[in-house]
Amino acid sequence: MSGFFGPLDPQGRVPPHQQTRVAAFLTSAHGALARQFAFALPAKLVSAWQTELNAQVYHEAEIVSLLLRATSWVPDLALGYLSMSWETAWFPQPAEGIPDQPLARAVSLATLAHAVHAGIRPAALLPREANADDPFVMALRRIELESGRLLQAQILFLKGPELLAHRDAVSAALEHRHVETRKLWTSALEGVGIVVHKS
Amino acid sequence: MPFLSHGSYRIRYELDGPANAPAYVLVNGLTQYAELWSAYRDALVARQFRLATFDLLGQGESDKPALFISQDDQVAALHLLVDELGDGPIFLAGISFGGLIALRYAIEHGERLAGLAPMSCFAELPPQLFLLGNALRTALILGGTSYLQDLLLPMNVSDQWLGPVLDKLDSVKRQGWLVNDAFALQNLMESFLDFRPLTSQLSSITLPTMILNGEFDFLTPRAVHETLRAEIPNSALVIIQRAYHAFTLEKPALTADLLARFAEDVLAGRWQGNKAVWIAPEEAGGELIAFPAGYDHLRAIPVQGPAT
Repeated sequence: MSGFFGPLDPQGRVPPHQQTRVAAFLTSAHGALARQFAFALPAKLVSAWQTELNAQVYHEAEIVSLLLRATSWVPDLALGYLSMSWETAWFPQPAEGIPDQPLARAVSLATLAHAVHAGIRPAALLPREANADDPFVMALRRIELESGRLLQAQILFLKGPELLAHRDAVSAALEHRHVETRKLWTSALEGVGIVVHKS
Repeated sequence: MPFLSHGSYRIRYELDGPANAPAYVLVNGLTQYAELWSAYRDALVARQFRLATFDLLGQGESDKPALFISQDDQVAALHLLVDELGDGPIFLAGISFGGLIALRYAIEHGERLAGLAPMSCFAELPPQLFLLGNALRTALILGGTSYLQDLLLPMNVSDQWLGPVLDKLDSVKRQGWLVNDAFALQNLMESFLDFRPLTSQLSSITLPTMILNGEFDFLTPRAVHETLRAEIPNSALVIIQRAYHAFTLEKPALTADLLARFAEDVLAGRWQGNKAVWIAPEEAGGELIAFPAGYDHLRAIPVQGPAT
């Protein structure tokens, strides 16, 4: 077991079974975000902040598209079961302690997006000798960088004035989402011989 | 790897050196992690000190709160670590953001300390530092941890340090990039961009205090340290020659020697702060030189200071 992908092939590429597992997880998570953001996006924007919602939809879709094309996919028998557990975990979980249901649903989506964008660092799995010209390597680096930018919308919303009165509820919901998402991520990685730190 | 518990969060720490010896606690800067003090562990343990290092909340192997990190939490975590050290003399040193946490600890729990060493430190955010901090935060958001490191390295260390590693900077940056998550760094940065100045409380620090400032520190220049020197009664300012903001990384032997000598002087009853200004030697073990009388230590050219 290692904290990184490997062993790499002589061209510095990540083993296909590890590519498949990681790309499947990321496709599931970012795909769920793309769907949920698309569902929340109105046909006609009425507020300035909704422009960010539009951006999130298409950036999430871009990540999925990128992974579908950059990954060397191979059969992974565990994916049937794993995918079901992942998809179930992405279901909306309205935050407890926020009586305004539309607001609670928005918090749910923001906490999931925060957990995925902040807590999942696929580029940190790349060993030093990974081939920078390989599309899968480049895709992971791009996804991690893009996630840091997408995250800003979640931070602004979750720390924003609308939720000041619900700070404890938001914090609890967010920490729960982080723990849950990280658990799924570490479990998916352990199945292909990668151990990541728990902090 | 031992951990302390602060609420639902875990703080990773390490103790080295003889259990009954006077202790030094070292507090990391923003993008650092506990292993960066390894040269200090060797040097201070060899001088018969016990050494405590740790990762702040949001750093390294400590837990990383997802959204809210307050300086109060960092001070509380530091207090837990100090409690692990027993009743013997404890010296506290912190670099940059860690120096700010050390100052706050000294204000709230000064009775637990024998001495304080703020390094590359600030008690308030003057406009330059505020704007720089905000710009660095934006850099982190737009370019990730790696871009933040790209900006901080040339600001914080000298050409002499950078020259030999210029063709392997990715390796130099890699460990810091791996152990520090961008969202946690952002939380840490935001926890000091909106902090309230400590200046009015500095006079309550009655401890022996050695303030260390790099001669060429760009991020926290001399004037920022002058606030500490002017307000902390038993303090002295020591200027590290040819040093930038991150002199603890660039000059570990010299800095560890200065820390050890400060603690030895305090324990022997020799320390006299007197709000004096000193120039550190170029090498560990050398003599400190009093800043020339009559000249203004806040200037970069030898201009005579105001008459006293």
